[in-house]
Amino acid sequence: MPRLSREAAIALALIAACALFMLTSPYFATAGNLLAVGRRCVDLALIALGEMLVLAAGGIDVSAGVAMGVASIAVGKPLQAGAPAALAALAGPVVGIALGGVAALAIVGGQMPPIVATLGLWGVWRAALYLLLGGQWLSGLPRALDPLLQGVMFGIPPVLLGIAALYCIVWLVLRRTPAGPRLLAVGGGEDAARRAGINVVRTKALVYVAAGALNGIAATIYVAQYRNVEMTTGGTLALDAIVAAVLGGCSVSGGEASVLGTALGVVLLRVLQNGMVLLGLPSLWTGVVEGTLLVLVLAIESLAALRRAGWRTA
Amino acid sequence: MSATGSRLLGLAALWAAMLVAFSIATPAFFQASTVTSILQFSSILALVTLGQALVVAAGGGGIDLSVGGMVSLSGLFMAWLGGGLAAVPAALVAIAGGALLGLVNGLLVTRLRLMPLIVTLGTLYAYGGLALALTGGSPQRGIPASLAPFGRDALGPFPLSFLLAALPVYVIAQFALSVTPAGPWTYATGRNEAAARLVGIPVARLRLAVYTISGALAGVAALVAASWLQSARPDIGVNLELDSLTAALLGGVSIAGGSGSPAGTLIAVLFLQSLKTGLQLSDVNSIWQTGMVGLLLLASLQAERLLRRGSIAA
Repeated sequence: MPRLSREAAIALALIAACALFMLTSPYFATAGNLLAVGRRCVDLALIALGEMLVLAAGGIDVSAGVAMGVASIAVGKPLQAGAPAALAALAGPVVGIALGGVAALAIVGGQMPPIVATLGLWGVWRAALYLLLGGQWLSGLPRALDPLLQGVMFGIPPVLLGIAALYCIVWLVLRRTPAGPRLLAVGGGEDAARRAGINVVRTKALVYVAAGALNGIAATIYVAQYRNVEMTTGGTLALDAIVAAVLGGCSVSGGEASVLGTALGVVLLRVLQNGMVLLGLPSLWTGVVEGTLLVLVLAIESLAALRRAGWRTA
Repeated sequence: MSATGSRLLGLAALWAAMLVAFSIATPAFFQASTVTSILQFSSILALVTLGQALVVAAGGGGIDLSVGGMVSLSGLFMAWLGGGLAAVPAALVAIAGGALLGLVNGLLVTRLRLMPLIVTLGTLYAYGGLALALTGGSPQRGIPASLAPFGRDALGPFPLSFLLAALPVYVIAQFALSVTPAGPWTYATGRNEAAARLVGIPVARLRLAVYTISGALAGVAALVAASWLQSARPDIGVNLELDSLTAALLGGVSIAGGSGSPAGTLIAVLFLQSLKTGLQLSDVNSIWQTGMVGLLLLASLQAERLLRRGSIAA
C-alpha cells in the first residue's frame, strides 16, 4: 500500500491550515502577520532541531526551554554591562554547551532515564534562572545584537541564514556521515548498537552537548529579538519542540529523525498557534491544543501501525 | 528485604536530622502548628505519590506526568457538578472524575501501546491546560460547605484529611500489596513483563488499573485540597509531577519498576513536605523549593543506582 511520506503529509497539513486561516481571517495573510509568525519560529526552530537529535538517540529533554532561558541570561547580562556584542553572542552557545554537558553527565554518566533526569534539571534550571535574575527581569537591553536580525543578502537576515545552515549541517551529519547511522542505531536499541561496536556512551553524550549548543544559539537569537529575559523565558519551548519534532515524524522511542519534517513541524505548530489567536481562541488554550495534538498524532500513528500488523492483543 | 528496611531507616534518620536542623535554624518551625501544616500538605502529596509509585512500580517505562493536571481538573469537576450535592456525592464526583482521566491515560498506554512518558506529558498539558482555559485561571466556588471540617479541622496536631483520607488509603494499599495477589502481580510485571505474561498475569489490565488508580487518587487529593480551600483552584496541581516522582523514587520505588512500598513512599512524602515547609518558613522563595526538589530527584536516582550496584557486587 503506497503511503504518503511524513514530510509530504505535514506539508499538506500546513497548506490546509494556511488555506483555512486565510478563509477565516482577513488578517492571516498580511505581511505583518506572516512576519510575526516567522519571528516566533526562530528560537523554536533551533530548540526543536536539538530535541529531534535527542529523540532520535532514544532520549527526551523536557528542560531544553528553561536551559535556553538560563543561557539567555549569560547573553543578556554582559550586554547590559556594555560588553562587546560578539562576546555576549558567544556566551549563549558556550553556556548552552555547558548545560548540555550537565545533562549528558546525568543521563549518560549517571545512567538516569532521560525523562526523569531532565525533569529534575528543569527544576534546577528554573531555580537557577531565578537566582541569576535576582528576582528582576532583564529588559530594554542594548541593541548591540541588531546586526544579526537586519537583512544582508537580498534582505535576508543572518539569523535565517544561520538557521538554514545549521539545518543543512545536521542533515549532512545524519545522512552523509557515519555519525548519522550511529546515532540512529543507538536510538533504535542500545544493546544492539553496542554489539555492533558503536561507542554508545560517546554518541549519547555528544547528542546532549550538541542539543545544548543549539539551545545556546537559540538563547543568543532570543535576546537579539526580544532584548529581555524573564523568569518565564523558554517555559513552554520544550513542549513546543517535542510536539514539532513528533509532528515532523520523529519517533518518541528513538531511531528515526527527519530534518525537513522537523522544520515543517515548527512552522505548522506556529501557524496553528497564530491561527487560533486570530480565530479568537484565548491563549490559555495553547497547552490544551498542543497536549491533545501530541497524543492524537501518536495515537493515529499507532492505530495505523497496529492495523497493518493485525491486532494482536497483549 | 533488609536492604529496603535499612534504606527506610536511613531516610527516617535523615528526616529526623532535617527536622532538628530546621528547628534550630528557624524558631517558627518548632511548633505543633508546623506538624499540622506539614501533614495537611502531605495529605495531597501522599495521595498523588501513591498513584505515581504504583504506575512506576508496574514497569514498562511507567510514569504518570499528568498527576497535577488530573488534580486540578477533578477539583473543577467537583466544583461544577457538586454544587447542590451533599458531601459524599460531591466527593465521589471528584474521585470518579479523576479515575476517568486516569483511565484515558491507561487506555492510551495499554491499547495503543504508546510510551507512558509521552502520553502523560501530552495529557499533563491537555488536562492542566483545560483546567486553566475553562476557568480563565480563577478559582471556582461550589464546593459543599459541609466538607470544610474534613478539609480544615484537626484532631490534636493531626488534620482530619490526613487521618481520614491519606492514612486509610496507605493502610489499604499496604494491605492490598502484601496480602492480595495485587502485590506480587505488580512487582512481577514491573521486574519482568515477559515472564509475568508467561505465568498468566494480565499485564495490560493490571497497567490499565494502575493508571486508573493514579487518577482516582488524584481525585481524592483534589477533594482534600478543595475541602480545605473551599474552592477549586485550576493551578492546584502545578509541579506535582516533579514532587510526586521525587517522593516515589526517594521512598524506594525503582524507576525501572518492580519495587517500592507504601510505607517507604509515605516516609518519603513526609520528608519532602517537611523540607518544603521548612524552606517556606525560612522565607525562601518558592522557586528554591522547585530547585531543591529537582536536585533531590537527581540525587535519589544516583543513590538508587549506587545502592543497586552495591547489592549486585555483594
